[in-house]
Amino acid sequence: MHGTVAFRTAWLITGSAADAEEAAQDGFVKAQRALGRFREGAPFRPWLLAIVSNEARNRVRAAGRRSALALRVAEERRPGDAVPSPEAALLDSERRDELFAALARLSENDRRAVACRYFLELSEEETAAVLDCARGTVKSRLSRALERLRGELGEEALR
Amino acid sequence: MTELERSLVQLGRELDYPPTPDLAAGVRARLQAPRRRRLAVLPPAGLRRALALALVALLVLAGGVFAAVPSVRDAVLEFFGLQGATVERREQLPAAPEPRPLQLGDPMTLDDASRVLGFTPLVPADPGRPDSVFVRRDIPGGELSLAYRPRPGLPEAASTGLGLLVSEFRGDLVPEYVGKLAPETTRIERLRLGGERAIWIEGTPHLFFYRRPDGLDTQRDLRLAANVLLLERGDVLVRLEGGFGRERALEIARSLGPS
Repeated sequence: MHGTVAFRTAWLITGSAADAEEAAQDGFVKAQRALGRFREGAPFRPWLLAIVSNEARNRVRAAGRRSALALRVAEERRPGDAVPSPEAALLDSERRDELFAALARLSENDRRAVACRYFLELSEEETAAVLDCARGTVKSRLSRALERLRGELGEEALR
Repeated sequence: MTELERSLVQLGRELDYPPTPDLAAGVRARLQAPRRRRLAVLPPAGLRRALALALVALLVLAGGVFAAVPSVRDAVLEFFGLQGATVERREQLPAAPEPRPLQLGDPMTLDDASRVLGFTPLVPADPGRPDSVFVRRDIPGGELSLAYRPRPGLPEAASTGLGLLVSEFRGDLVPEYVGKLAPETTRIERLRLGGERAIWIEGTPHLFFYRRPDGLDTQRDLRLAANVLLLERGDVLVRLEGGFGRERALEIARSLGPS
Protein backbone atom coordinates (compact mmCIF):
# COMPACT_ATOMS: atom_id res chain seq x y z
CA MET A 1 0.00 0.00 0.00
CA HIS A 2 1.70 3.21 1.10
CA GLY A 3 5.00 1.39 1.43
CA THR A 4 5.17 0.55 -2.26
CA VAL A 5 4.13 3.97 -3.54
CA ALA A 6 6.53 5.65 -1.10
CA PHE A 7 9.40 3.46 -2.23
CA ARG A 8 8.65 3.89 -5.93
CA THR A 9 8.30 7.64 -5.54
CA ALA A 10 11.69 7.76 -3.85
CA TRP A 11 13.13 5.54 -6.56
CA LEU A 12 11.86 7.78 -9.34
CA ILE A 13 13.66 10.67 -7.63
CA THR A 14 16.92 8.98 -6.62
CA GLY A 15 17.22 6.40 -9.38
CA SER A 16 18.71 4.05 -6.79
CA ALA A 17 16.90 1.25 -4.99
CA ALA A 18 19.21 1.51 -1.97
CA ASP A 19 18.72 5.26 -1.65
CA ALA A 20 15.00 4.86 -2.21
CA GLU A 21 14.75 2.31 0.58
CA GLU A 22 16.56 4.60 3.00
CA ALA A 23 14.56 7.61 1.92
CA ALA A 24 11.28 5.74 2.35
CA GLN A 25 12.26 4.45 5.78
CA ASP A 26 13.46 7.86 6.94
CA GLY A 27 10.31 9.35 5.49
CA PHE A 28 8.18 7.07 7.61
CA VAL A 29 10.22 7.93 10.70
CA LYS A 30 9.89 11.66 10.06
CA ALA A 31 6.22 11.36 9.22
CA GLN A 32 5.65 9.77 12.58
CA ARG A 33 7.69 12.44 14.38
CA ALA A 34 5.72 15.13 12.64
CA LEU A 35 2.38 13.48 13.21
CA GLY A 36 1.49 16.20 15.70
CA ARG A 37 1.74 18.74 12.87
CA PHE A 38 -0.44 16.70 10.55
CA ARG A 39 -3.61 18.63 9.92
CA GLU A 40 -6.45 16.49 11.15
CA GLY A 41 -8.86 15.43 8.47
CA ALA A 42 -6.37 16.18 5.69
CA PRO A 43 -5.59 13.35 3.27
CA PHE A 44 -2.65 11.41 4.60
CA ARG A 45 -0.93 10.08 1.50
CA PRO A 46 0.10 13.40 -0.11
CA TRP A 47 1.55 14.48 3.22
CA LEU A 48 3.51 11.26 3.59
CA LEU A 49 4.74 11.38 -0.02
CA ALA A 50 5.90 14.97 0.43
CA ILE A 51 8.10 13.89 3.34
CA VAL A 52 9.44 10.82 1.55
CA SER A 53 10.23 12.74 -1.64
CA ASN A 54 11.98 15.45 0.36
CA GLU A 55 14.15 12.75 1.92
CA ALA A 56 14.86 11.38 -1.55
CA ARG A 57 15.82 14.80 -2.92
CA ASN A 58 18.11 15.38 0.05
CA ARG A 59 19.93 12.16 -0.76
CA VAL A 60 20.40 13.12 -4.39
CA ARG A 61 21.63 16.55 -3.31
CA ALA A 62 23.98 15.17 -0.66
CA ALA A 63 25.52 12.81 -3.18
CA GLY A 64 26.12 15.77 -5.48
CA ARG A 65 24.67 14.02 -8.46
CA ARG A 66 21.69 14.12 -10.65
CA SER A 67 19.51 11.09 -10.61
CA ALA A 68 19.82 8.98 -13.71
CA LEU A 69 16.59 7.15 -13.92
CA ALA A 70 17.07 3.93 -15.82
CA LEU A 71 13.55 3.16 -16.84
CA ARG A 72 12.96 -0.10 -18.53
CA VAL A 73 10.14 -2.49 -18.93
CA ALA A 74 9.93 -5.56 -16.77
CA GLU A 75 10.97 -8.64 -18.72
CA GLU A 76 7.99 -10.62 -17.58
CA ARG A 77 5.61 -7.98 -18.84
CA ARG A 78 6.91 -7.93 -22.39
CA PRO A 79 4.51 -8.83 -25.16
CA GLY A 80 4.60 -12.50 -25.96
CA ASP A 81 4.52 -13.35 -22.31
CA ALA A 82 2.82 -16.68 -21.74
CA VAL A 83 -0.08 -15.11 -19.87
CA PRO A 84 -0.66 -11.57 -21.08
CA SER A 85 -3.66 -10.06 -19.39
CA PRO A 86 -6.22 -9.44 -22.10
CA GLU A 87 -7.29 -6.02 -20.86
CA ALA A 88 -3.74 -4.76 -20.36
CA ALA A 89 -3.18 -4.08 -24.04
CA LEU A 90 0.57 -4.06 -23.65
CA LEU A 91 2.37 -1.46 -25.67
CA ASP A 92 4.25 -2.87 -28.58
CA SER A 93 7.99 -2.54 -28.33
CA GLU A 94 8.30 0.04 -31.07
CA ARG A 95 5.71 2.28 -29.48
CA ARG A 96 7.34 1.86 -26.08
CA ASP A 97 10.78 2.77 -27.39
CA GLU A 98 9.34 5.88 -29.00
CA LEU A 99 7.71 6.90 -25.77
CA PHE A 100 10.89 6.37 -23.78
CA ALA A 101 12.89 8.35 -26.29
CA ALA A 102 10.37 11.20 -26.27
CA LEU A 103 10.27 11.21 -22.46
CA ALA A 104 14.05 11.41 -22.36
CA ARG A 105 13.90 14.66 -24.33
CA LEU A 106 11.56 16.33 -21.83
CA SER A 107 12.95 18.65 -19.19
CA GLU A 108 13.67 17.03 -15.84
CA ASN A 109 10.74 18.80 -14.19
CA ASP A 110 8.27 17.82 -16.87
CA ARG A 111 9.50 14.22 -16.88
CA ARG A 112 9.05 13.96 -13.12
CA ALA A 113 5.54 15.34 -13.36
CA VAL A 114 4.70 12.71 -15.99
CA ALA A 115 6.29 9.96 -13.92
CA CYS A 116 4.33 10.88 -10.80
CA ARG A 117 1.00 11.46 -12.48
CA TYR A 118 0.99 8.61 -15.01
CA PHE A 119 3.61 6.04 -14.01
CA LEU A 120 2.82 6.11 -10.29
CA GLU A 121 -0.78 7.14 -10.98
CA LEU A 122 -0.69 9.77 -8.25
CA SER A 123 -3.39 12.41 -8.04
CA GLU A 124 -2.54 15.99 -8.99
CA GLU A 125 -2.46 16.87 -5.32
CA GLU A 126 -0.04 14.04 -4.57
CA THR A 127 2.10 14.95 -7.57
CA ALA A 128 2.29 18.53 -6.32
CA ALA A 129 3.30 17.26 -2.88
CA VAL A 130 6.03 15.06 -4.32
CA LEU A 131 7.39 17.77 -6.61
CA ASP A 132 7.04 20.41 -3.92
CA CYS A 133 5.18 22.79 -6.15
CA ALA A 134 1.68 24.21 -6.56
CA ARG A 135 -1.06 22.17 -8.13
CA GLY A 136 -1.30 24.72 -10.92
CA THR A 137 2.38 24.14 -11.68
CA VAL A 138 1.70 20.41 -11.97
CA LYS A 139 -1.11 21.10 -14.41
CA SER A 140 1.03 23.38 -16.56
CA ARG A 141 4.00 20.98 -16.55
CA LEU A 142 1.78 18.09 -17.55
CA SER A 143 0.05 20.07 -20.21
CA ARG A 144 3.39 21.16 -21.66
CA ALA A 145 4.84 17.65 -21.42
CA LEU A 146 1.87 16.04 -23.15
CA GLU A 147 1.99 18.64 -25.87
CA ARG A 148 5.66 17.94 -26.51
CA LEU A 149 5.17 14.20 -26.43
CA ARG A 150 2.36 14.51 -28.96
CA GLY A 151 4.64 16.57 -31.16
CA GLU A 152 7.47 14.04 -30.84
CA LEU A 153 5.33 11.00 -31.43
CA GLY A 154 3.25 12.41 -34.23
CA GLU A 155 -0.48 12.37 -34.37
CA GLU A 156 -0.71 8.93 -35.93
CA ALA A 157 1.07 7.38 -32.99
CA LEU A 158 -1.70 8.52 -30.70
CA ARG A 159 -4.54 6.81 -32.41
CA MET B 1 -8.01 10.50 -20.43
CA THR B 2 -6.46 10.78 -23.89
CA GLU B 3 -4.84 7.96 -25.82
CA LEU B 4 -1.40 9.35 -24.97
CA GLU B 5 -2.22 9.49 -21.28
CA ARG B 6 -3.50 5.93 -21.38
CA SER B 7 -0.27 4.85 -23.06
CA LEU B 8 1.77 6.56 -20.35
CA VAL B 9 -0.23 4.83 -17.61
CA GLN B 10 0.25 1.53 -19.40
CA LEU B 11 3.97 2.17 -19.74
CA GLY B 12 4.13 2.91 -16.01
CA ARG B 13 2.47 -0.40 -15.24
CA GLU B 14 4.99 -2.24 -17.39
CA LEU B 15 8.01 -0.56 -15.82
CA ASP B 16 10.61 -2.71 -14.16
CA TYR B 17 10.50 -1.17 -10.71
CA PRO B 18 12.96 -2.56 -8.20
CA PRO B 19 11.11 -4.84 -5.81
CA THR B 20 9.73 -2.90 -2.84
CA PRO B 21 11.87 -3.85 0.15
CA ASP B 22 10.29 -4.91 3.41
CA LEU B 23 10.31 -1.44 4.94
CA ALA B 24 8.61 -2.60 8.14
CA ALA B 25 11.30 -5.23 8.67
CA GLY B 26 14.02 -2.62 8.18
CA VAL B 27 12.55 -0.30 10.75
CA ARG B 28 11.85 -3.16 13.07
CA ALA B 29 15.51 -4.20 12.83
CA ARG B 30 16.59 -0.69 13.76
CA LEU B 31 14.13 -0.78 16.60
CA GLN B 32 15.30 -4.08 17.96
CA ALA B 33 19.00 -3.28 17.78
CA PRO B 34 19.02 -1.30 21.05
CA ARG B 35 16.94 -3.97 22.74
CA ARG B 36 19.67 -6.55 22.30
CA ARG B 37 22.11 -4.12 23.88
CA ARG B 38 19.82 -3.16 26.68
CA LEU B 39 22.39 -3.63 29.37
CA ALA B 40 25.12 -1.92 27.41
CA VAL B 41 24.75 1.48 25.79
CA LEU B 42 21.24 2.58 25.04
CA PRO B 43 20.65 5.27 22.46
CA PRO B 44 18.98 8.40 23.78
CA ALA B 45 15.38 7.94 24.81
CA GLY B 46 14.27 10.30 22.10
CA LEU B 47 15.82 8.18 19.41
CA ARG B 48 14.42 4.96 20.80
CA ARG B 49 11.02 6.53 20.88
CA ALA B 50 11.30 7.82 17.35
CA LEU B 51 12.20 4.38 16.10
CA ALA B 52 9.35 2.81 18.01
CA LEU B 53 6.92 5.33 16.64
CA ALA B 54 8.26 4.83 13.15
CA LEU B 55 7.36 1.21 13.32
CA VAL B 56 3.90 2.07 14.50
CA ALA B 57 3.46 4.41 11.59
CA LEU B 58 4.91 2.02 9.11
CA LEU B 59 2.80 -0.89 10.21
CA VAL B 60 -0.31 1.16 10.30
CA LEU B 61 0.32 2.98 7.07
CA ALA B 62 1.23 -0.22 5.33
CA GLY B 63 -1.87 -1.84 6.68
CA GLY B 64 0.26 -4.28 8.65
CA VAL B 65 -1.55 -3.85 11.91
CA PHE B 66 -4.84 -4.68 10.33
CA ALA B 67 -3.66 -7.37 8.01
CA ALA B 68 -5.08 -9.94 10.37
CA VAL B 69 -8.46 -8.23 10.45
CA PRO B 70 -9.75 -8.63 6.91
CA SER B 71 -12.89 -6.61 7.47
CA VAL B 72 -10.93 -3.60 8.72
CA ARG B 73 -9.50 -2.20 5.55
CA ASP B 74 -11.69 0.79 4.95
CA ALA B 75 -10.21 4.22 4.41
CA VAL B 76 -8.45 5.77 7.35
CA LEU B 77 -9.96 9.18 7.92
CA GLU B 78 -7.60 10.23 10.69
CA PHE B 79 -4.61 8.71 12.38
CA PHE B 80 -3.29 9.24 15.90
CA GLY B 81 -0.21 7.56 17.30
CA LEU B 82 1.49 7.18 20.64
CA GLN B 83 4.34 4.95 21.62
CA GLY B 84 2.62 1.60 22.02
CA ALA B 85 -0.80 2.60 20.74
CA THR B 86 -2.49 3.72 17.57
CA VAL B 87 -5.94 5.14 17.02
CA GLU B 88 -7.57 5.29 13.63
CA ARG B 89 -10.81 6.95 12.74
CA ARG B 90 -12.42 4.95 10.00
CA GLU B 91 -15.40 5.22 7.77
CA GLN B 92 -16.60 1.78 8.68
CA LEU B 93 -15.85 -0.57 11.53
CA PRO B 94 -16.14 -4.33 11.57
CA ALA B 95 -19.12 -5.81 13.36
CA ALA B 96 -18.88 -5.48 17.12
CA PRO B 97 -17.75 -8.75 18.62
CA GLU B 98 -19.75 -10.61 21.24
CA PRO B 99 -19.00 -9.46 24.77
CA ARG B 100 -16.78 -11.89 26.66
CA PRO B 101 -14.79 -11.92 29.87
CA LEU B 102 -11.75 -9.68 29.94
CA GLN B 103 -8.50 -11.53 29.55
CA LEU B 104 -6.15 -9.68 31.81
CA GLY B 105 -3.67 -12.42 32.68
CA ASP B 106 -2.73 -13.91 36.03
CA PRO B 107 -4.09 -12.40 39.26
CA MET B 108 -1.37 -11.45 41.73
CA THR B 109 -0.46 -8.88 44.34
CA LEU B 110 0.91 -5.52 43.34
CA ASP B 111 4.23 -6.40 44.98
CA ASP B 112 4.52 -9.59 42.97
CA ALA B 113 3.58 -7.69 39.83
CA SER B 114 6.38 -5.22 40.49
CA ARG B 115 8.84 -8.08 40.60
CA VAL B 116 7.82 -9.69 37.31
CA LEU B 117 7.19 -6.61 35.19
CA GLY B 118 9.87 -4.88 33.15
CA PHE B 119 8.85 -1.49 34.56
CA THR B 120 7.71 0.09 37.80
CA PRO B 121 3.91 -0.07 38.07
CA LEU B 122 2.13 3.25 38.18
CA VAL B 123 -0.86 3.40 40.50
CA PRO B 124 -3.31 6.31 40.60
CA ALA B 125 -3.38 7.82 44.13
CA ASP B 126 -6.96 8.67 43.21
CA PRO B 127 -8.73 6.18 43.61
CA GLY B 128 -5.78 4.43 45.30
CA ARG B 129 -4.95 0.75 45.56
CA PRO B 130 -6.80 -1.42 43.05
CA ASP B 131 -9.28 -4.15 43.93
CA SER B 132 -7.46 -6.63 41.71
CA VAL B 133 -4.13 -6.78 39.93
CA PHE B 134 -3.37 -8.90 36.85
CA VAL B 135 -0.27 -9.46 34.78
CA ARG B 136 0.08 -10.77 31.26
CA ARG B 137 3.56 -12.03 30.55
CA ASP B 138 3.23 -12.84 26.87
CA ILE B 139 4.68 -9.54 25.70
CA PRO B 140 8.15 -8.08 26.33
CA GLY B 141 8.13 -6.31 29.69
CA GLY B 142 4.69 -7.72 30.53
CA GLU B 143 1.37 -5.92 30.85
CA LEU B 144 -0.15 -4.80 34.12
CA SER B 145 -3.90 -4.39 34.66
CA LEU B 146 -5.38 -2.66 37.70
CA ALA B 147 -9.11 -3.27 38.17
CA TYR B 148 -11.38 -1.05 40.27
CA ARG B 149 -14.98 -1.87 41.12
CA PRO B 150 -17.59 0.78 40.31
CA ARG B 151 -18.01 3.45 43.00
CA PRO B 152 -19.01 7.10 43.23
CA GLY B 153 -16.95 8.97 40.70
CA LEU B 154 -16.24 5.73 38.81
CA PRO B 155 -19.50 4.57 37.19
CA GLU B 156 -19.64 1.08 35.77
CA ALA B 157 -18.52 0.84 32.15
CA ALA B 158 -20.60 -1.56 30.09
CA SER B 159 -17.51 -2.71 28.20
CA THR B 160 -15.66 -3.94 31.27
CA GLY B 161 -18.16 -4.08 34.14
CA LEU B 162 -15.57 -2.08 36.09
CA GLY B 163 -15.40 1.45 37.44
CA LEU B 164 -11.84 1.83 36.17
CA LEU B 165 -9.44 -0.39 34.28
CA VAL B 166 -5.83 0.76 34.14
CA SER B 167 -3.43 -1.09 31.87
CA GLU B 168 0.28 -0.43 31.50
CA PHE B 169 3.04 -1.83 29.33
CA ARG B 170 6.37 -0.84 27.81
CA GLY B 171 5.35 1.02 24.69
CA ASP B 172 8.95 1.15 23.48
CA LEU B 173 9.25 -2.64 23.49
CA VAL B 174 5.91 -3.42 21.88
CA PRO B 175 5.16 -0.35 19.80
CA GLU B 176 2.20 -1.69 17.90
CA TYR B 177 0.62 -3.53 20.80
CA VAL B 178 -2.65 -1.66 21.31
CA GLY B 179 -4.86 -0.61 18.45
CA LYS B 180 -8.13 1.25 18.35
CA LEU B 181 -10.61 1.73 15.58
CA ALA B 182 -13.03 4.56 16.04
CA PRO B 183 -16.09 5.53 14.01
CA GLU B 184 -16.65 9.10 12.86
CA THR B 185 -18.96 9.79 15.80
CA THR B 186 -16.28 9.15 18.39
CA ARG B 187 -14.50 12.19 19.76
CA ILE B 188 -10.72 11.88 19.64
CA GLU B 189 -8.57 14.58 21.17
CA ARG B 190 -4.83 14.98 21.43
CA LEU B 191 -3.71 16.27 24.81
CA ARG B 192 -0.59 17.17 26.72
CA LEU B 193 -0.49 16.08 30.31
CA GLY B 194 2.49 17.45 32.22
CA GLY B 195 4.53 17.39 29.04
CA GLU B 196 3.52 13.82 28.19
CA ARG B 197 1.48 13.08 25.10
CA ALA B 198 -2.00 11.72 25.56
CA ILE B 199 -5.11 10.91 23.55
CA TRP B 200 -8.67 11.09 24.87
CA ILE B 201 -11.30 8.96 23.15
CA GLU B 202 -14.92 9.55 24.11
CA GLY B 203 -18.43 8.93 22.88
CA THR B 204 -19.55 6.11 20.66
CA PRO B 205 -17.81 2.94 21.80
CA HIS B 206 -14.80 2.13 19.68
CA LEU B 207 -13.08 -1.14 18.98
CA PHE B 208 -10.01 -2.11 20.90
CA PHE B 209 -7.57 -4.87 20.19
CA TYR B 210 -4.15 -6.19 21.02
CA ARG B 211 -1.66 -7.15 18.43
CA ARG B 212 0.61 -9.78 19.86
CA PRO B 213 4.28 -9.69 18.91
CA ASP B 214 3.73 -12.78 16.79
CA GLY B 215 1.06 -10.90 14.87
CA LEU B 216 -1.49 -13.65 15.41
CA ASP B 217 -4.88 -13.74 17.04
CA THR B 218 -5.64 -10.10 16.47
CA GLN B 219 -9.28 -10.74 15.92
CA ARG B 220 -9.66 -12.75 19.09
CA ASP B 221 -8.92 -9.75 21.24
CA LEU B 222 -11.18 -7.33 19.42
CA ARG B 223 -13.69 -5.86 21.85
CA LEU B 224 -15.76 -2.74 22.38
CA ALA B 225 -14.25 -0.14 24.69
CA ALA B 226 -15.70 2.71 26.74
CA ASN B 227 -14.10 6.15 27.15
CA VAL B 228 -10.34 5.85 27.18
CA LEU B 229 -7.37 8.04 28.02
CA LEU B 230 -4.08 6.87 26.55
CA LEU B 231 -0.92 8.48 27.81
CA GLU B 232 2.81 8.06 27.57
CA ARG B 233 4.67 8.15 30.86
CA GLY B 234 8.31 7.70 29.94
CA ASP B 235 8.55 4.32 28.23
CA VAL B 236 5.27 3.13 29.72
CA LEU B 237 2.01 3.41 27.84
CA VAL B 238 -0.86 3.83 30.30
CA ARG B 239 -4.45 3.23 29.31
CA LEU B 240 -7.37 4.31 31.51
CA GLU B 241 -10.78 2.94 30.54
CA GLY B 242 -14.10 3.68 32.21
CA GLY B 243 -17.50 5.30 32.03
CA PHE B 244 -16.15 8.59 33.38
CA GLY B 245 -15.60 11.81 31.45
CA ARG B 246 -12.50 13.64 30.30
CA GLU B 247 -11.90 15.74 33.41
CA ARG B 248 -12.21 12.73 35.71
CA ALA B 249 -9.82 10.79 33.48
CA LEU B 250 -7.29 13.62 33.66
CA GLU B 251 -7.58 13.75 37.47
CA ILE B 252 -6.84 10.04 37.68
CA ALA B 253 -3.96 10.36 35.24
CA ARG B 254 -2.39 13.25 37.16
CA SER B 255 -2.45 11.13 40.32
CA LEU B 256 -0.46 8.29 38.72
CA GLY B 257 2.76 7.53 40.55
CA PRO B 258 5.12 4.63 41.31
CA SER B 259 3.51 2.02 43.53
